[in-house]
Amino acid sequence: MPCVMPPLLERNDSRTIHSPWLGDVETDPRCELLFPAGLPGFEDQRRMLPVEIPAQRPLVYLQSVERAEICFVALPVYVIDPAFRLLLSEEDRSILDLPEDCDPVIGADVLCLALLMPAGRSVQANTNASIVINLHNRRGVQCVPADGLRSRFRRLDDSGWTTLC
Amino acid sequence: MDHAVLVLRRRVGETITIGGGIEIEVVEISRTRVKLGVTAPRDVSVARKETIAVAAENRQALELISAGPESVTETLRLLGAASPRDS
Repeated sequence: MPCVMPPLLERNDSRTIHSPWLGDVETDPRCELLFPAGLPGFEDQRRMLPVEIPAQRPLVYLQSVERAEICFVALPVYVIDPAFRLLLSEEDRSILDLPEDCDPVIGADVLCLALLMPAGRSVQANTNASIVINLHNRRGVQCVPADGLRSRFRRLDDSGWTTLC
Repeated sequence: MDHAVLVLRRRVGETITIGGGIEIEVVEISRTRVKLGVTAPRDVSVARKETIAVAAENRQALELISAGPESVTETLRLLGAASPRDS
């Protein structure tokens, strides 16, 4: 299965991840994302592989390189909430290696994903805990606002996406 | 639980210790923020408080794929149904 983004480096150091969910996934460091701080609850998972299955677009799988059984299902945040606005803290910018005066453009400079979680027969996502990936260096962070902003859950059901109170 | 609140004044470079094994140093102070350095044993979880709820959400997110391919199939069905009127 192909990774979402084209390789940045030219090296041949491929290996296979035996994912119990995606099957055997070919990867090499050129395709991997680096999460220097891991993800909350998974702080030791720093290398993730973004996997896109064409028939399942726009779903994006975030497959751990270090533990094959860890795999998240995500969507670009704009699919969930077209009104999404990216807010980056000083720490987030530091992890992503983004200059303070840089106003990153979603899709051009950064990719913003939200993890999907089961909610009965449906799924929901917290768009206030988006995963932001710097497309220029493949560094990622899950942005969790510290300024009192609460979780903003959007749930998908037969009537589309709705915001939960 | 019965917790006491201890308020301390510290300067840059000064530390406090907790339980003998955890040390918190004031690394930098700016107008609105304080940068802290935490030294703790590896088995002690150190996290910003606001990430605790997100950690639980992330663990829940892991259950989506482990529930089996039906959950992904159902998600794709809902996405397909939602996309024409998603705005």
